[in-house]
Amino acid sequence: MAILDLVRLDKHFGSVAAVSDVAFTVSDGEFMCILGPSGCGKSTLLRMIAGFETPTGGDIRIDGDSIVALGANRRPTAMVFQKYTLWPHMKVFDNIGFGLQLRRLPRAEIKRKVEESLALVSLSGYEERYPAQLSGGQQQRVALARALVLEPKILLLDEPFSSLDAILRVRLREELHRIQRRLNITAIFVTHDQEEALTLADRIAVMNSGRIEQIAAPADIYANPASLFVADFIGAMNLLEGEASGRQVRLGAVALPTPDGIAARQVTVAIRPEDLVVLDGPHPEAWSCAVEQISDLGHYRRAVLEVPQLPPMKIYLPKSLSVQERAALHVYPRRYLIYENGGAPREVSRPLPAAAAALLG
Amino acid sequence: MTAAAPPQSSPSWRKGIIAYLMVAPPLLLMILLIFIPALQSTARTLTIDVNGEPGFSISRYTAFFQDPISVSNLFFTFQVTLITLAAIFILCFPLAIYLRFATGKLAGAVQVLALFPLFVPGIILAYALIRFLGTRGTLDNVLSIVGFTGYRTPYLKPDAIIFGLVWESIPFTVLVLTAGLRQISDSLIESARDVGANSWQIFWRIILPQIARPVLIVFSLNFLGIFGSYTIPYLLGPAAPQMMGVFMQQTFGQYRRPDDAETQAVITFIICAFIGFLYVRTVATQRKREESE
Repeated sequence: MAILDLVRLDKHFGSVAAVSDVAFTVSDGEFMCILGPSGCGKSTLLRMIAGFETPTGGDIRIDGDSIVALGANRRPTAMVFQKYTLWPHMKVFDNIGFGLQLRRLPRAEIKRKVEESLALVSLSGYEERYPAQLSGGQQQRVALARALVLEPKILLLDEPFSSLDAILRVRLREELHRIQRRLNITAIFVTHDQEEALTLADRIAVMNSGRIEQIAAPADIYANPASLFVADFIGAMNLLEGEASGRQVRLGAVALPTPDGIAARQVTVAIRPEDLVVLDGPHPEAWSCAVEQISDLGHYRRAVLEVPQLPPMKIYLPKSLSVQERAALHVYPRRYLIYENGGAPREVSRPLPAAAAALLG
Repeated sequence: MTAAAPPQSSPSWRKGIIAYLMVAPPLLLMILLIFIPALQSTARTLTIDVNGEPGFSISRYTAFFQDPISVSNLFFTFQVTLITLAAIFILCFPLAIYLRFATGKLAGAVQVLALFPLFVPGIILAYALIRFLGTRGTLDNVLSIVGFTGYRTPYLKPDAIIFGLVWESIPFTVLVLTAGLRQISDSLIESARDVGANSWQIFWRIILPQIARPVLIVFSLNFLGIFGSYTIPYLLGPAAPQMMGVFMQQTFGQYRRPDDAETQAVITFIICAFIGFLYVRTVATQRKREESE
């Protein structure tokens, strides 16, 4: 049972602001991902919660009590680090039991707890191994067990799977998800991998240059990115710069309708590849373009389109649509977001044109 | 076809010869100048003249250990060596830990200061210390300016030897310990703090076990240097008791008893060889471990 409150948190390194004015609440049992490019301040934010960095301003509260004055060794948090996480001179048992020994728990109880937490990460029977005898994935699982055995109020994870290979990363991600749900522990997971964030998180906080750009559930972030940065960072997105006049935005040969009058002249229109529909013939609101490149991704294909006067656009093609490279297509955006001056976007979502039928999609 | 086969094997064979030729000069020097004289000396100390015929005897050693001055000098050498080593560790551990974790200009300046004695020859250091620690030396003068007049110089006392030897050993010790500490990544220390360890527990349970080898290396190499030291104990130390280096030189040069000096040398050599063996074993097992990882 733990609620984490970040209150207007700031961290400056000299004149560089690593984290500015970050404020959010993580509710009990929630899995929060902090997602952002490297250097955006996400690790610094996590390290402030863990106690390895002192905030320049603001407050960190767990269940209402400020923990800023507590050293890292006295906070009710536990952290899983990116790499070099296990003490090489200690066996797995001692790695996990070290924190319990420091708390002067009886021997029998330490043994029971270590065995329990090893079972939780599916590594029963590995007590006597040294870290060097474990694979990278096993090491990170032991690191997770070491954090969980202390029954922390908040579990902190700093890109724990980023040094593992892709298949292992997915497997451990699923395992972490299962464990977090089972223990119902409040967790904060820092990553630069959007797929990781989208699959794990109850909510995602997208960070950029030390600030939070958006906090929302994964589906919401994907469907309604609050800023151009989020639109560009999360998922595949076609970003097209156009000129607005009246209730229209001109993008190459096509003028797209806007929901109401737009003040700015320069706007950016964001279209997800899956929101582009292939029509069976030309249409005034569809781009006529050529297929530049097709990559087969198993159950669907991804194509890059060459559109006159516009940058190349990404689109997903169903396998049933037999299109070859260099073929001519007519693509129609059935949903798009219009961003002006960095503010919240305006959404346009509309049915397919009556006259033309979609080929598929 | 079979006649053409041998040249294939010649490059590796030739490489082997070249490798042996390259090691040969230092190896020969060691055998001629160290091993053979050491063996000869050891053999001589175990030989007595029995009616013109050489015979085996340990009488020179029993004489050494029955002579109170010799025993007290050997004991004194051990005492100075161990106290100096303890002082070195007490001083250098905090220094190395500071240099490992601190950043910025001050850390750079401390590093330069810590390494400075490396570039000062022992004899210059000894005279500098005499000027600094001696009666009416710098320290005495400064103390009397601030009103403290009871200063008693450690010059010509065992403390002065320890002072000089510690000063001389700091750079090497700090270098090796800092290098060892740099092998420990920050996240290993942070994760210990994270599970609740305080600084002292982190030092004992996380840092020290991981730098056991550098510590052993520092211990053994410093031991060898201190146990056999000559210049500093000769210039700064008391007339009695003496450290083995000074004792040997006096027995040989002033009392003109080369046989006794030889016995003292062999005893010193055996003690140092034992510590040297510890060092070699530490380095060898470290290499073996690195290869297996």
